[in-house]
Formats: sequence, structure tokens, C-alpha cells
Amino acid sequence: MNRRDFLKQVMLWSAGITTAIPSIQIVPELLAAEKPSPLVSHATGKDYYNLVAQVLEPLGTIGNFVKTGDNVVIKPNMAWDRNPAQAANTHPQVVKALVELCLDAGAKKIMVFDRTCNEERRCYVNSGIQEAMAAIKDSRLKFYHPDSRKFVPVNIERGKAVRKLEIYKDALEADTYINVPVAKHHSLSTLTLGLKNSMGVLGGKRGQMHHNLGQKLADLATVVRPKLTVIDATRILLRNGPQGGDIDDVKVLDSLVASADPVACDAYATTLFDLKPGDISSTVAAYKLGLGEMNLERMNIIKA
Amino acid sequence: MKRNHSNLRYWRRLSQIACFLLFLFLFIKTDYSGTNELTYAVNILFRIDPFLAASASIANKTLIWLMWPALIFIGLTFFLGRFFCGWICPMGALLDSCHKLIPHAREGGITRLHTLKYYLLGFLLIAAFWGLPAAGYFDPFSILVRGLAISIYPAINVMTTSFFTFTYQQMPVWVNSITEPIYAFLRSTILPFRQNYFELAFISLFILLTIFMLERLERRFFCRNICPVGAFYAIISRFSLLRGKGGSKCGKCKNCMTVCRMGAIDENRNISPLDCNLCLECVDICPGSKISFGFQQKEVARPSFGISRRKFIGTLAIGTALPFFLDTRTMAKRPDPYLIRPPGALPEDEFLGRCVRCGECMKVCIGNGLQPTFLAAGLEGLFSPRLNARTGYCEYNCTLCGQVCPTGALTELTLSQKHAEKIGNVFFDKNRCLPYAKGIPCIVCEEHCPTPDKAIQFREAEVLNSNGEKVSVKQPFVVDERCVGCGICEAKCPLPGQSAVRVTSAGERRNPQNALPTQSLLY
Repeated sequence: MNRRDFLKQVMLWSAGITTAIPSIQIVPELLAAEKPSPLVSHATGKDYYNLVAQVLEPLGTIGNFVKTGDNVVIKPNMAWDRNPAQAANTHPQVVKALVELCLDAGAKKIMVFDRTCNEERRCYVNSGIQEAMAAIKDSRLKFYHPDSRKFVPVNIERGKAVRKLEIYKDALEADTYINVPVAKHHSLSTLTLGLKNSMGVLGGKRGQMHHNLGQKLADLATVVRPKLTVIDATRILLRNGPQGGDIDDVKVLDSLVASADPVACDAYATTLFDLKPGDISSTVAAYKLGLGEMNLERMNIIKA
Repeated sequence: MKRNHSNLRYWRRLSQIACFLLFLFLFIKTDYSGTNELTYAVNILFRIDPFLAASASIANKTLIWLMWPALIFIGLTFFLGRFFCGWICPMGALLDSCHKLIPHAREGGITRLHTLKYYLLGFLLIAAFWGLPAAGYFDPFSILVRGLAISIYPAINVMTTSFFTFTYQQMPVWVNSITEPIYAFLRSTILPFRQNYFELAFISLFILLTIFMLERLERRFFCRNICPVGAFYAIISRFSLLRGKGGSKCGKCKNCMTVCRMGAIDENRNISPLDCNLCLECVDICPGSKISFGFQQKEVARPSFGISRRKFIGTLAIGTALPFFLDTRTMAKRPDPYLIRPPGALPEDEFLGRCVRCGECMKVCIGNGLQPTFLAAGLEGLFSPRLNARTGYCEYNCTLCGQVCPTGALTELTLSQKHAEKIGNVFFDKNRCLPYAKGIPCIVCEEHCPTPDKAIQFREAEVLNSNGEKVSVKQPFVVDERCVGCGICEAKCPLPGQSAVRVTSAGERRNPQNALPTQSLLY
């Protein structure tokens, strides 16, 4: 190789490198002036699979959220090495129904993952979600473990308690992000709902989120913005959350709650535990940041 | 020179390659695979090892039936001699394959140390009897698997991952469209699921490399002179039926003597069954086709081991005396409180007697919690497994370590037994724990505590934080009766450096001396 060739190569490579560096900017959302009252749908039924379509019906079905050719992230809670009956993870049938609805809506790619608390593979298997996903024979569904290389540092421009978080790239880049938490007890945040479930896209040391948890979750919600939240309250964990383990702590409600407004969805789901929206610090903090509605009387609640 | 067209050695090589690949396959499969039970007999290499079976049985003064497959190879050796060393042993296969890569220090004139292995075997077995179990330090499979599991395999993962991280972060898209599928393929096949970190990684590597460096002195130096498994087989081979017979009338080429990797052929072309590992290289190379192998027991005299009685008795005497010095150390009176043994571990003496330091439990531990012990359990506890909960915790629903243990040093537990198995107890350091020390809310430990009725509970307390403000925080405490010592609280404690909650061996089931104070009977 002569000098000229060498220099040419160097130029070309470095050009490639500079264009390949991921640069992600989160544009601060405009504070919504005066939004119409958000729709919150609450459906009840024994068939959890069909319940998903039922709860989405009043919101304008899945087609309102997923367009043809969209890259979709579905983020269930499968953080714990617990089985579906123990109510620590999102019910596999709920996740499966959502994935299949998105497939029918023409999504280009559907990504399902969670950064777990217990050992990753055990959580995926024991939650029953791995089996449910394997039953869907469609190459557009990607069910995988997060890749440690793909957590990107993101500036939380509007953050009051955190300024920087590492967030999973796929979650940031998705056209549609669907949050599918399971509603359950949590001793620090009282309940874990949609906002808490977003912690599953965080990299780094998540334990430090727990110091001033409510505000930090709201800060996170300024950058991780689900288009749709479906809260799984088919069975809820009343005590010893967030991982439970004792069937006696589980109450069967056969319910799903869905909304395009993440705060309203959390706020309404709180009432299923006979608590008030104001009892959950993350709901309050997110409301104050203008991320959604928390006053039940200002919501349009539809029993589907 | 007349070329001989015999090709027995190719069959041997085929067998070596097949056995080595099987070994690697089982090594990689020593991992969680989506079910609670392992699907392959991944520990089989250790269970067919008669030396480890003997040592563990002698140390425990009981026959360890888990190791019955060793009997098959003892039986086969009575017929075939040390075929194991030449045809099966993965360490031997590795040494043979690396032979050409390792330059020899000098040709010929090699010190003959081949009796050393008999002394060593005698020493190890008698020391095991008197309470100094050191078999795992010399067993080739322990050295090999430990080196692979603790050092080489994690290092391969570091290398591969750094390479593909570099391409992912620094290379243009078209490069990634090639490299990413390769990486995904490697991840799903040969690479470990996650990066593991181990104490003593370098020492384990160094011990393994030493065996390869010894090849410089002499081909198969370890096998000829040190290997206690080889020594065990050599003793049986003295009675073996299949033997090599050197030609009595032939030229002076001595090709057979030169080619013999075990130094089993002497000046007069007598092939010693004690050392011959039936590689059959000599049969292939002999220009006159004078060498043959056959069941010809009566024609060949039983060779002597060449050991001196006086030295051997001396070795046994040392092996007998040395273990008594172990009980003079402080740890005989006060064991290390942070030495937490894996779930299902036998009481310490029995445990160490059986543990062959193979590293299988550390390889399979899905939390990367099991680490090789350095000196915390004494010289005789080197490389035995312990839980280092700050590196990784013991997964509540996992029973894999008991499943891979080849000797039963770790009992195989059912899931419900595992849930009730107490390996230690945690203690809070209130000077570090945030709700106590700083008035900062936290309780990550409580969140992760896996027992259905949480062993970590909390009390609401009004405290002054560092700004002097009165705040209400949840302060954690442990309920000893529920704590199993899994250490997930220590692993997940968000403090940098040392955790504010630490597991100790207090209250471990296997040691009544370690019982926690109670005000009433527990059961």
C-alpha cells in the first residue's frame, strides 16, 4: 500500500466511523396546553387473550397506535423468576395478544424484552412469556435479551432528580412503544404500575433510582413515552411485592386497564387497590411535569 | 527406509478428537438451558476418574456411589492398559495437539522422574485419609476444567465481545451487517450467556499453562511424571492383558524409542505397560513392522514400578503427619465468617474431602456468585467454591450446582429443599445503610428478597437527614428465621464498594456450631 492509498483508506474509514456514531437527541416535549380529558378503558373478563382486544376497543383499537411498517416495542414486566400465577410478571396471554394484534396491524418489527432483576433466562422462561412468544411463528417478532452494548446515555433535559440515564436504544428508536406492566404492590413506591415498569429499559445501576424514586420515575417518563399503556390487573399482588411468591398474596381481578395517557392509566389502576392516585409519588410527580392527567374526575373512564 | 502402511494412529487421533469435542460440548452445556434440570451428564469426566473417586471415598471413609462410572474404566484398564491416557483423556489430547507448537528445551538426556507420580499418588491418598484433601490440585481434569471455566472461557468472551463492541460502535453500517450476524451466532452457540468474573483467574490459568510449559522438558511430561490418574491407571496396567511387544531381532534404528511420547520403550525395545498409553505410534513407525500389540500376558514379565520402598514409606509418613498440622491454625477454632458454602454443601470436613476443585459448580452458577476460595479455608480449601455475594448472588429457584457436583460434596437439592436451605444469614451495617446513615429512602434489598414472606422487613422511622431535616424512611432489618443467605440483597445494594448488608455463614444449616442466637426453639 502506498501513502496515497493509505491516506485515502484512513479518510474513508474515519468518514464511516463518524457517521456511525449514534447520536440521539430527545426533543423536550411541548407542554400540552389544555388537553381534552384522556380516555381510560377498563375491561373485565376471564379470557385474558381476548380481553386485550376488548380493552383497546374504546381507544380506537390497536390500529390507532400501530401503523403499517412501524417498529414496535412491547415492554412487559418479566423482571422476576416467578410463574404467571404468582403475579409478579405480566401475564403471557396479555403479551401474546398484544403482539398478535400489532402483527395484524402491519407492524414491520415487534421487539419484546425486559432488563430483568433475577437471572435473565430464568425470568423469561418462568414468566411463561418465552413459551407464549415461541408459539407465535412470525419472523417480525423479535424476543430477545437486551444487549449491553446498546444502552445509550440520554440527557434528561426536564429531569428534576436525574440528569442522565442509560436507556436501551430500541426503546428510544421505536415508532410505537407499548408499555405492558403488571399492577402489583411495591414497598417503596407503594405500587408498581406503568411508570415503574419503564425501569426495565434502563441500563447501569438501577438501584440508585430508588433514592427519590417517584421523581426519578417521572423524569424517566419525560423521555420514555409510551403511545399506549396496558396495565395487566388480571391478578394483582397485594403484599410482598414486587416479586411475591406466595399465592395467598395474589388477588384475581380479571381486569385490564388501557390508555394513551401513561399517568391517567397509572392513576386509574391505583383505584383497583383501593388507593388514591395521590398515594403514588411517581403519578403525582409525572402529573406535575405535565406528562398526563391524574384527577379521576377529569378522565373519560369507559368500562369496556 | 521402508514406509509402513499401518494407520492405527489415525484411529487413535480420531478417538482423541471425538472425546475432546465431546468434552468441550459438555463444558459449554454446563449451563442453564431453560429447564430447572440439566439435560446432559455434564460432570461425566469427573465421575469416570478413579483417582478422584478413590480420594473422595477415602477422605470420607465411605464409598461414593455417585462415582460408579469410574469402575468401568478400572475394568477396561485391566484389559487394555493405559488406553485412557492415549485415547480418551482430553488433557492428553490437548498436549498431543500442542506438541509441535511447543519448542523443546533440549533433545534427549531427559531426567527420568516417572516414579514421582507413584509417590504423589500415595501421598495424596494417605493425606486424604488423614484430612488433607489435595487431589484436586493435581488431577488433570480439575486443572483443565478449572482453568477453562475460571479463566480461559471468560477471557474468550471478553475478547470476542470487545471485538464486536468495537465493530458495533466504530464501524460503518455495512461492516456491521456482516459482523453482527456472526456475533449473534457466536452468542447463541459457543459463547457464555454473560460475562463472568472470577477470583484466582490468573492462578488457574497459570497452573494450566504450567502443564503445557512442562512439555518443553519432555513430551507428555505431566502424564509421565506427575499425573495421579495416570499413576492409578499405571498400577492397574501392570496386570493388563493388552500389551505391546517390541521386536527382539531388529536393526538399531531406535525409531520406536524416539517416537514414544510416554518414554515407555527402553533400549532393548521392551514396552512398559506402566507407561505405554497405546498411542500405537511405534507400530506405525517401525520400519520392520516388528512391534505388535496383543493379549499376550504370559510372554511378558510384570515390570516393577521402580520406586524405592524407603522413599515410599517416607512419603506416606509425611502424608500422615502433615494433616495434623492443619488443626493448629486459628481457622480450626474460628472459621472465616464470610466463607459461605454453596447450598447443599456437606459439613466442612466432609465437604472438603469430597470436593475435587473441578470448578463445575462455579461454571454452572447462573448468578456468577460461586467463586474459588483462596486461603480463607486454608491450604486444603484452595479453589473450593464459596459464595461471594457482592459479585453475584445465589438464585432462589436454581439448583444447578448440586446437579453438576460429581462427588456429592454438594448434595443435589429439590426445589423445595433448596428454598429451605439456609447457607448463611445477613447483617446490616447501619453506618452505611442509607435509611439509617443518611435518611435517604432505599430498601432495594427488601425489594429483591426472594422468600415469599420476605426475610428483609422494614420499620418506618423518623430520622434527621444530612440537611438536618426530619424525614420518614423505611429502615430494613432481617428476620433470621426466614433468611436463607442467598445474598441477593448484598449483590443489589446500590452503595458503591462494600454493601451495607452482608451475608455471613452464621446460621448455616450444615454447621450447628454456627447457630444464631434465639430466644426460643425454632421448630
